[in-house]
Amino acid sequence: MSDKLKQIINKQGDQQNSGHDQLDDIVQLVGFVIGEEEYAIPILAIQEIIKPFTWTRVPQVPSYVLGVFNLRGAVIPLIDLRAKFGLKTKNQSDETRFIVMRHGDDVAGFVIDRLTMAIRLKKTDIGPAPDTVNGDDTIIDGVGKQEDKIITILKVNKLLERDF
Amino acid sequence: MDEFQEILQDFLVESFELVEKLDEDLVELENNPEDLELLNGIFRVAHTVKGASSFLNFDVLTHLTHHMEDVLNKARHGELIITPDVMDVVLESIDLMKALLETIRDTSTDAGIDVSACVVKLDKITGGNGEVDTPIAVAPVVEEISEPEVVEENEDEIDYDNMSPDDLEAEIEKLLQERQAEDKAKREAKIAAGEDVLAAPPEPDAEPAPKAEPEPTPPPTPKPAPAPVATAPAAKKEDPKAAAPTKRAPAAVEQTIRVDVKRLDHLMNLIGELVLAKNRLIKINDDVEERYEGEEFLEELNQVVSIVSLVTTDLQIAVMKTRMLPIGKVFNKFPRMIRDLSRELNKKIDLELGGEDTELDKSIVEEIGDPLVHIIRNSCDHGVEMPEERLAKGKNETGTIGLKAYNEGNQIVIQIDDDGKGLDVNMLKNKSLEKGIITEKEADNMSEKEAFGLIFKPGFSTAAAVTNVSGRGVGMDVVKTNIEKLNGIIDIDSELGVGTSMKLKIPLTLAIIQALLVGVQEEHYAIPLASVLETVRISKDEIYTVEGRSVMRLRDEVLSLVHIGDIFEVERILDVSEHAYVVVLGLGTSKLGLIVDTLVGQEEIVIKSLGDYLKGIEGVAGATIRGDGGVTLIVDVVALMSMARNVKSTALSNVGSESTVSMEKNKASDYKVMIVDDSKTDRTIMRKALEPMGITLVEASDGQEALNVLKSGEHNFDAMLVDIEMPRMDGYTLATEIKKYNKYKNLPLIAVTSRTGKSDRMRGVESGMVEYITKPYSADYLSSVVQRNVNFKAEFL
Repeated sequence: MSDKLKQIINKQGDQQNSGHDQLDDIVQLVGFVIGEEEYAIPILAIQEIIKPFTWTRVPQVPSYVLGVFNLRGAVIPLIDLRAKFGLKTKNQSDETRFIVMRHGDDVAGFVIDRLTMAIRLKKTDIGPAPDTVNGDDTIIDGVGKQEDKIITILKVNKLLERDF
Repeated sequence: MDEFQEILQDFLVESFELVEKLDEDLVELENNPEDLELLNGIFRVAHTVKGASSFLNFDVLTHLTHHMEDVLNKARHGELIITPDVMDVVLESIDLMKALLETIRDTSTDAGIDVSACVVKLDKITGGNGEVDTPIAVAPVVEEISEPEVVEENEDEIDYDNMSPDDLEAEIEKLLQERQAEDKAKREAKIAAGEDVLAAPPEPDAEPAPKAEPEPTPPPTPKPAPAPVATAPAAKKEDPKAAAPTKRAPAAVEQTIRVDVKRLDHLMNLIGELVLAKNRLIKINDDVEERYEGEEFLEELNQVVSIVSLVTTDLQIAVMKTRMLPIGKVFNKFPRMIRDLSRELNKKIDLELGGEDTELDKSIVEEIGDPLVHIIRNSCDHGVEMPEERLAKGKNETGTIGLKAYNEGNQIVIQIDDDGKGLDVNMLKNKSLEKGIITEKEADNMSEKEAFGLIFKPGFSTAAAVTNVSGRGVGMDVVKTNIEKLNGIIDIDSELGVGTSMKLKIPLTLAIIQALLVGVQEEHYAIPLASVLETVRISKDEIYTVEGRSVMRLRDEVLSLVHIGDIFEVERILDVSEHAYVVVLGLGTSKLGLIVDTLVGQEEIVIKSLGDYLKGIEGVAGATIRGDGGVTLIVDVVALMSMARNVKSTALSNVGSESTVSMEKNKASDYKVMIVDDSKTDRTIMRKALEPMGITLVEASDGQEALNVLKSGEHNFDAMLVDIEMPRMDGYTLATEIKKYNKYKNLPLIAVTSRTGKSDRMRGVESGMVEYITKPYSADYLSSVVQRNVNFKAEFL
């Protein structure tokens, strides 16, 4: 038992060390799926990830703003990323999650279809947003390359910005 | 440096407090020049500020206060009578002092403000005897004196470092004497300087001022031209004079500590959370009571819950009280303002204050000042007439403006009365017509109160000419917005020729309010109770339509109506019942009936902001968290009133059943039927019986699940097979719930049950079932019943 424990601790230590070596050029992201696409946001921008629960509709807002919900006493807006990205709304399933993101004082919950995993990417593996998306207005921060796929990395501050 | 900053902070806090009181005292002094105690008080303020500022090296401030002190000292010893002209100079110097203090607060130096002109004037009062062109030479002389004094102090300071307490004591003694001697010398020097320039006129007060016996020598100050305010009848002054000393006395005894406002705010937030938790606890207690009726532990639980809720309420009140400030803090500046205004307008106006001890939340005290200034300016300018006019009308020459505050229930009322000319309804209407604020038709239908409300319209001004004071038509509408921002309302009463009375009704606190919770369809909204006048239950045929607007008759009034669903874009999914409730909202003089589906009840709610992302949504003032943990939006009554004008009414007109889409059926699997039964076996039996038809089947294991599937809107069902005995929600309840939705009104519900009693069948029919199949049944029979109900096309068979 204790051997096993040691092994695990050693392994973790190794991982930490290796992580430490190149801490500067590693970006930690959390990946999630909306529709068919996989997206990611920096792990530090995430306050928490929670299972869906009820929310209250708010009038006079675009359809992608579902309303507000109660997060342990704070009233927080809830945004449906499917609707925001122009996809057809889908009913929530067992895999649906709310990701609560924070940037400065701005906090909002985002509905996503499912989480994938935490991702560690070298900075060198992240390319700029494609040229077709224009200027500073884009919510795409960059494109991360993994062995078999690419992941769109989103700008949290843009997601939390009110655009109506 | 830090120590210096700390001292500086204390100095500023103290000085601002002192100065705030000063204004009021000075105006009172002008009316009671003999009040020695008052004079001493004022003198002490100047003295304290001077002492502290010289210690802190604020030369300009020291210079100024020093001269103020001189003037006041003379007055204190009866060598000078405070006339309005003297007072003007003193007040000017106090304004300068305030400006200096503010500069110090912002920049930590007192540079940048020129006080010499004022100092010269002050000096003229003390040194000269009113000769017009004496002064200029005087000022530089004094400045020279005050400069070295400060340098000296600096040197002294360095010495203190290595002294024993005894030595220090002695040193202080020595310094004090030096200082006194110096002061004396300085005063003599100054008087000498004054004399030099004056070229010796007969001068009774030329001898050194300090400690002169308070025998009132005939003062040589010139008799001022009869100024309008100062000669106000002495009788009026009795009241404030009596109030002032009593106010001052307890202040010395009361023990207080200064607390950072942030800490109090934090405390208030925590209490807010506690109130929410309390609401939740009460709700849970109710639920538990229902479920475990008659159990012994219930009583104990009840006791605990009621103690917790009692203590929470007390705690809330206690914390609210710590944030309370007496409104006198705001009232203080008005005597001065009235004085200045009446001199400016050449009117005679008295101000009567009352209820200065009434307490209000700090945030409200901060917000209420500006609106009051506007209202009082307005009363002075438009309300109170010129003295001659007043005499001609048989009124007292001096107009009176009353300003008082008092508690009324959960509200504070601030009442502003004047005995001026009052509001002329016809004139108000004509003016508004002229400026295009209202239409002719509106003017005709306007009640008196509504006409008074016109003065709050943007762009409205009754003054014939634009004066310095008012008349530009901004101001009163700002008053209204500001008061409404505080959830307050304004009530005007006026009688032509007699006067106007304005009442501002403001809630005690902003953070926690009483609210009426209302329901529309499946949503709830909270309406601040302060704006709710009454609620009425009506039936649909009591609603009339006039020019596309819904109205109803409420006693002898016509009340315009708006449906809350139209304002908040509520989707109509539930069937509208025959009856509805009207919440009558009142805001100042306007009224509006808000139609809601249900009244939920009254609750204490904590206002929370929707945050930056969702701020500024019209009609929503914020949100609150309810006992069940859900979020409920708070209605912004002010915005709602203006929104109501632009909303077209679809209120109770039934939105046809267009949503019962009769989708084209092209194949057998286009038909969808839901099977609701808690027994797996039964569901399988039904499935086996229906599968041969080729239709699509969806299963649910109880009523609740079935309802959720239905609500999700994923499927369009053509029929449902419903078992009666089910956990969570039985078949009857399910049927009743489903029938509430417009959309599913015509959805055939088929009961499949082993209950065969007649009463069971009756209940089934009542709850909206169209068929009643008793178990056991044959597969063919079930299939044929379903086919009949879904209009199954024969060609698919």
